[in-house]
Amino acid sequence: MMQSSPLNLRRTVVLLGRLFLGATFVYAAYSKILHPTLILHPWFAFKFAVQANLANFAGEVETFKFVSTANAALLAHTLPLIELALGLLLLLGWRVRYWLTGVSLLLIVFLSVLTRAYLLHLDIKDCGCFATPEPLNGMTLVRDSVFLAAALLCTYCAFVEARKPHPWTATSSS
Amino acid sequence: MSRSYLARLTFALIFSSGALLVGCNSQTQSADNPPAPSAAAQTAPGSATPVSTPVTSPTQTEAAPAQAAPASPPASTFAGIPDVDPHKTRGSKSAPIIMETFSDFQCPACKQLYMGTSRQLNDNYVATGKVFAIHRDFPLPGHAYSRVAARYGRAAAQLGRLEQVEQVLFENQEKWEQTGDVDGTVASVLSPADMTKIRALIKNPAIDAAIEKDLALGRTYAVNQTPTTIIHYKGQTYPVVGIVSYDVLHQFLDQLLRQ
Repeated sequence: MMQSSPLNLRRTVVLLGRLFLGATFVYAAYSKILHPTLILHPWFAFKFAVQANLANFAGEVETFKFVSTANAALLAHTLPLIELALGLLLLLGWRVRYWLTGVSLLLIVFLSVLTRAYLLHLDIKDCGCFATPEPLNGMTLVRDSVFLAAALLCTYCAFVEARKPHPWTATSSS
Repeated sequence: MSRSYLARLTFALIFSSGALLVGCNSQTQSADNPPAPSAAAQTAPGSATPVSTPVTSPTQTEAAPAQAAPASPPASTFAGIPDVDPHKTRGSKSAPIIMETFSDFQCPACKQLYMGTSRQLNDNYVATGKVFAIHRDFPLPGHAYSRVAARYGRAAAQLGRLEQVEQVLFENQEKWEQTGDVDGTVASVLSPADMTKIRALIKNPAIDAAIEKDLALGRTYAVNQTPTTIIHYKGQTYPVVGIVSYDVLHQFLDQLLRQ
């Protein structure tokens, strides 16, 4: 008979962590693809709005001065899709440990780029993280550190839990 | 690895990085925020900045008194759009597309839009009668000299000198936003006679009232950042926020015109 999955501490951490990080990544992708210009109809206007938003994001990426203009455009057009895919996969809950690893690696890259810009005193008016324009400051780094710590913790817990047999499929010892 | 050890490690990581970075940030913030501008620095008539080689305006009568310029800008409703000041428009009124741009002279993104997109737009769409462009002032409260620059822009528009003033303000944005010398920047491209008129005009409350009207109109469009461009076509309104490259914009405008 199928039993409900027992929520031990590690499973609870993974569940809450993946929902939080998944929602955050989906929101981050929305912020870049459909914000600030949101025109849904007609199709060519929607396409224009997305192009304008991604071009805006490319400009924000460029202010970090770690890639060329062409690479900033390439990054701006691919990163939101990666964020969206990772966010949805985390919310879906399938093979969570692999996507959590991906999220952790991405957050390490984000934090490194932000820290570099902060230490170089680059004038970043908008870090491009989310929909609300925010200048790069210490709080941005603290927030991303929290995200990274949460992602690393969830990744660790997910891998530990993955080594154990799933409670639904495990045979009863008694 | 025990559970409590893991939890302690995580919290230690978060709080130590937080404490370290918040400490650094307070220094950066104070460096980023310039001191509040003095009134003299904002509007100083005949400021210390030398009027090196002012571009004189051949069409303007140099000896005309300051009072000759209209004190209150005539604004009217055009195609359902309220408060259209004819001095702040470009292009043909019969153009199929109307573009209202809410801009702030001290905003770097507005400068980028102006330098990268607006000039080409003027040449290829406004001058050819496809777009009727309306300039709107939207000075943001976070910018120390935005309001002063908007006053100068408005006053220059009354004299038909908006294009020169817009260009010089955007091109020298980094300089005057540090010094607050809007007057000197504008004076570098206008004749002394025009500057006398402009200095008289900016003291007129009607100029501020007109800026307030643009701000109020912007709020009805839910404008909350600059630049924001509202594109009107066949009764439809398309709000575009931020910088749009000319390549992206011209594709959209062409598709609109093909409809």
